[in-house]
Amino acid sequence: MDLNFLAELKNIVGPKYVMDAQEDRICYSFDATFRDYLPDVIVKPGTAEEIQAVVRLAAEKGVPVYTRGAGTGLSGGSVPVNGGIVLVTTRLNKILAIDTVNYTAAVESGVITQDFCNAVDAAGLYYPPDPGSIKTSTLGGNIAECAGGPHCIKYGVTRDYILGMEVVMPDGSLVQVGNSIDGEMSGPDWPMLLCGSEGTLGIVTKMTLRLIDKPPAKQTMLAIFDAIDEAAVTVSTMMASGTIPTTLEIMDNLTICAVENYLHIGLPVDADALLLIEVDGEPTAVAKQAESVIKVCSDCGAREVKIAKDQKEADSFGLARRSISPACGKINPTKISEDATVPRSQIPAMVRAVRELAAKYKLKMVIFGHAGDGNLHPNILSNKRDHEEMERVEEAICELFQIALKLGGTLSGEHGIGYMKAPFLQWEFGKTGFVAGRNIKAAVDPNGILNPGKLFDSKFYQEE
Amino acid sequence: MKKGDIMNPDIAKWQKQLVKCIRCGTCRSVCPIFQFEDNENTTARGKVKLLESVSDGKLDLTPALQERLFKCLMCKACAAGCPSGVKTDELFLNARKTLVKKNGLPLLKKIAFTGLRFRRFFDLGLRMGATFQNLVLKDAPGGRGKQPRIPIPAAGFDTRRIIPTMADKPLRRQLPSVNSVAAPKARVAFFTGCMLNYMYPEAGKALVRVLNHNGIEVVIPEEQCCCGTPAFTSGDQETGQFLAEHNINVLAAGNYDAIITGCATCGSALKLEYGEIISDATLQKKWEALSEKVYDITTYLLKIGYDTDFGPVKATVTYHDPCHLVRSMGVSKEPRQIMKNIPGLIFQEMKEADKCCGSGGTFNLAHYELSRKINDLKLNNAEATGAEILVTGCSACRMHIADGLNQRDSNMKVVHTAEIIDRAYQSAKKGGK
Repeated sequence: MDLNFLAELKNIVGPKYVMDAQEDRICYSFDATFRDYLPDVIVKPGTAEEIQAVVRLAAEKGVPVYTRGAGTGLSGGSVPVNGGIVLVTTRLNKILAIDTVNYTAAVESGVITQDFCNAVDAAGLYYPPDPGSIKTSTLGGNIAECAGGPHCIKYGVTRDYILGMEVVMPDGSLVQVGNSIDGEMSGPDWPMLLCGSEGTLGIVTKMTLRLIDKPPAKQTMLAIFDAIDEAAVTVSTMMASGTIPTTLEIMDNLTICAVENYLHIGLPVDADALLLIEVDGEPTAVAKQAESVIKVCSDCGAREVKIAKDQKEADSFGLARRSISPACGKINPTKISEDATVPRSQIPAMVRAVRELAAKYKLKMVIFGHAGDGNLHPNILSNKRDHEEMERVEEAICELFQIALKLGGTLSGEHGIGYMKAPFLQWEFGKTGFVAGRNIKAAVDPNGILNPGKLFDSKFYQEE
Repeated sequence: MKKGDIMNPDIAKWQKQLVKCIRCGTCRSVCPIFQFEDNENTTARGKVKLLESVSDGKLDLTPALQERLFKCLMCKACAAGCPSGVKTDELFLNARKTLVKKNGLPLLKKIAFTGLRFRRFFDLGLRMGATFQNLVLKDAPGGRGKQPRIPIPAAGFDTRRIIPTMADKPLRRQLPSVNSVAAPKARVAFFTGCMLNYMYPEAGKALVRVLNHNGIEVVIPEEQCCCGTPAFTSGDQETGQFLAEHNINVLAAGNYDAIITGCATCGSALKLEYGEIISDATLQKKWEALSEKVYDITTYLLKIGYDTDFGPVKATVTYHDPCHLVRSMGVSKEPRQIMKNIPGLIFQEMKEADKCCGSGGTFNLAHYELSRKINDLKLNNAEATGAEILVTGCSACRMHIADGLNQRDSNMKVVHTAEIIDRAYQSAKKGGK
């Protein structure tokens, strides 16, 4: 890296917050996906003004800027595929205000999601998006990838909670989009455009988020099925029945066995599938919803529906869900977590397709996930050091995307596009759609400074 | 990159752990150092990636890598919290060894660890230390201990720092080598460790009294040495191995019913870590038999069915879990269970009781500022309980916590678990029932 450029970066953020030793560049060369790209330098600005100055300098020199929160992404959104600057936002970590009258909060983008949820909880309100990496991820990262989570089936994803944001543009200017008034907006919904844009259009420094009331009561249930098809039908039937659970998670037999081996909590290892269901609301409404859930499960062929008799049992059901990742890690070290998502009505078809894919490519694939969202999280358990197997994995993923799209679905339910899915994006948008996306990017960031190599990058455009 | 390094058998050994890391970043949420440094080079996944780069031939065993591998408390929180079960503690210990083999140790550590190997010389040195400590240390205000007269950065002595006064006479010189009782139920060896011997002999004596009270004969083998942890965690495999072998031979020779430790670190070295350090097969066998007999004092009391006839101890107490007890030896319920049986004692659990206190053995010498910040969180949590006594089972934690409490003029006292149990027995004797 050019010494003058380094000196200028140090001048902006302070020498302590610029790192270019090879040992440190390696530490910032990856996220939770499996490829690495070395950045040239890591910069940790402490204010929006410093971010503006860094972006201005980068724009002047034509150096790419990769914005990174906690680096827990599952699509490679923050990975510096073209080198350049990794700009870390974690020093912008202040919760500025929690407004319990207007049900809004103002926060900086580097705040850890869990810290924010705890603060909101302490103020007596609720912020529902709960990605798996909640303890580590930043709210800025959640916005960049439009993160979801188990509770999003009822309450919606990150996008549904953004009212306004402060953004550093690719030329270093600072703009405010949206506002803190719930439901009011002048002109188009800018935050909606920026949410999920993976830092390709701007760097979010501050945001106003919407909060809701805490549900006063909840009930957790576990439905056991002898055939995963029945569980899949249950999901689509339940969503159509009008009872929307807070959580509706599916686990297939492979997953059940892995978790039982890991936790020994008495899960039915002979079952073909489980549904973990939670309903919440006012106590009377909860009772009514639980009744409806049990009826739908039974009608669709559930062998048994267990109702958590106390908080302890509810927690053990929840623990089973949260332990899937480590339990599967014990089977094979490289877990490739996909989030191709289909309309809820297509869940039975998607389940069958995933099972066929696993057989066709001789791969260990487990199904677990936010079934209620149509997001089955097909996970491939493999070993990244087995190159022959990894080739089969890539082919299977390719076919998985095609199937999801054919069923009317999307490449990503919550992980975003990153470097992993960008080559397939045109399949979802079509040629015209992709060009429209590329034109927006070119209008906002003509020099391609922000996060090149992701989303609508020209290199993924196919003439066909 | 030389092919020789890739073929290095130590590096080949890393593979099993390296492939397991899914880079999810959960380690960011549990690492006490990351909490302050906010730098991926202090996280377990960052260090795993660095070691993977070495193993792929993309990075040398550089001094800069060594520096990053040593900025770690070895508190095992990342290993315990890892969803993929990467044994980061084993991996990083092994990497330290490999790095030190290549780049050597800092001079001060080299001298200190060489000293450890000569038992009598080490003992003499520390006893002389007790005599001459006033040359470099002065009494801290209020008789709280000692404070450096001038900063001694090479030894990690900041002038704010308050360390306990070294005992005029170490524990092993105060007690006979056999502490007998009439008709003993068992005969055990007490592995004192350096801290109880030189810094906190009163706690050591309390531990012996507690065992004697329960009808246990306590032998304090004279030939015992430092457990070796400071050496082998610093990557000095040679010294670590020397001390491990010596202690195994000394303890195996006595044919004791059990080996009792009052130090979390010595206990986890004797019970677990020696297995990774010794290479000789016969010695390995000897150690395996010995390892099963190693108990922390609290676990042993529960095992023998200790006398619960406690007298009252009127105090509000909280407990700090030493990393080497809770995450190495799996001891956390035991001390709490015993204390809850003491009448009059009000037990108040602190928040994050099992989080590292920031001491990290030799870590706090090299990174005092950082270890103080981590310790301050511990002190805030402890003080929030309103307890007047903080109990813990590790003298290194005790020293670091007491230093922090002294610096903030707190009235909270720190005692060893054995001391609070001893107090309850003494109280019963005085008829305080």
